[in-house]
Amino acid sequence: MTAPLIEARALCKSFGPTPVLRDVNLSVEAGRAAAVIGANGAGKSTLIRLLAGLSAPSLGAALLFGEPARSLRPELRRRVGLLSHQSMLYPNLTARENLEFYATLYGVQDARAVAIEWLERVALGAAAEARVRGFSRGMEQRLALARAMLARPDVLMLDEPFAALDADGAALAAALVREAMDRGCAVLASAHSAGALAELGFAVFALGRGTVMSAEAAAARRSAARPALARQLS
Amino acid sequence: MTSFVAVLRKDLLLEVRGGQSVVALGALSLLVLVVLVFAFNPGGGEQGAEAAAGALWVALVFSGMLGATRAVSAENENGCIRALLMSPLDRAALYAAKLAAAFIFMAVAEAASIILMVLFFNLEFDARVLRLVPAVLLGALGFAALATLLAGISSRLRGGDLVLPLLAVPMFVPALIAGVKASASALSGAAVGEFAVWLKVLVAFDVMFVAAGYLLFEYVAEEE
Repeated sequence: MTAPLIEARALCKSFGPTPVLRDVNLSVEAGRAAAVIGANGAGKSTLIRLLAGLSAPSLGAALLFGEPARSLRPELRRRVGLLSHQSMLYPNLTARENLEFYATLYGVQDARAVAIEWLERVALGAAAEARVRGFSRGMEQRLALARAMLARPDVLMLDEPFAALDADGAALAAALVREAMDRGCAVLASAHSAGALAELGFAVFALGRGTVMSAEAAAARRSAARPALARQLS
Repeated sequence: MTSFVAVLRKDLLLEVRGGQSVVALGALSLLVLVVLVFAFNPGGGEQGAEAAAGALWVALVFSGMLGATRAVSAENENGCIRALLMSPLDRAALYAAKLAAAFIFMAVAEAASIILMVLFFNLEFDARVLRLVPAVLLGALGFAALATLLAGISSRLRGGDLVLPLLAVPMFVPALIAGVKASASALSGAAVGEFAVWLKVLVAFDVMFVAAGYLLFEYVAEEE
């Protein structure tokens, strides 16, 4: 088995006295994909922020390529893509300018051509010279996905990738994620429900009460809780 | 270098399109100069030169805080700072680009301030005003360096707009004194030696502020 590209080891995160993540263990190897599902406030975005190195864990380790995500070397940061709740796009730049800027930061050759190529891939070619400020939420999401993927990362982290996307946008996003997986990218995604991610072949994990368990274990726990609840109510 | 140029170019492009910072800096400088010229009602000669130098540097400090805040806070919109931190972009290059952007904003505002100062304080556009330029540019560089670093801290705090001046102004006071003295010397036509002494003090503070920002910005820029 190859070494995981994304790994959480006994990962814990608290905000003040409030624990959000407790002893989370998760790993994703190259070419594999994992989805973390959970309710609002379960800690999905926190988990992704920790693994992206944007936040420091309270305990445990968040690793990318076997190294702490928080202090990743620039040459490894180049290989990571993140789609966050926030689009990370400059509202007063055009779609093309945004992608060209990030392509330049990631050392992509011929940044302008790559930006135009990706605009076509996310069906925003016609809006290439429009400022992001005028975009709908769905258009922003597609552009943000292009921003996360244009450097062909080896690690891709997607926080609710299908949010605000219509059916065509969701299909397009799914195709791009599938393509990334096929070329050996390790993908970690979060969502409220498994749905489309399970269809893409993601291994699904449930995040609840700060811990991660397989979707099957989570379903078994819920089933066990129902008879107990029924006894209480009778 | 490519990343530095890309970030600086992006900031300048955003400013040209938004146009808020330079206009705000110019308006603030005008307000400060108008208020102070009526408050001091300076005559000519050395007294007038000192009053003009003081007014100019008050305008520089206020405009510097606004410029540095804008250069840093522009990244908070849509969480762009996270994308920059996740990218291969060197933190020091990010600081250098933000510093350069803040410096350019301040330099443009200061150019307008110098013109307004000459007009309001009844000075002449002559060699003395030209001698003012290196002092003002050095002051702008030093304040931009300091304010950019501190803006990185204050932008993430509640009440950050209040914190920045509370931190920046006391730390800048020694350089501010040197700048005012250098500017007053220049405008009063004092000997080059006296002017040069204060310039050297400004250079020393610039080196210190820029080095501190270069070394510390990566710790400031990291999220929680």
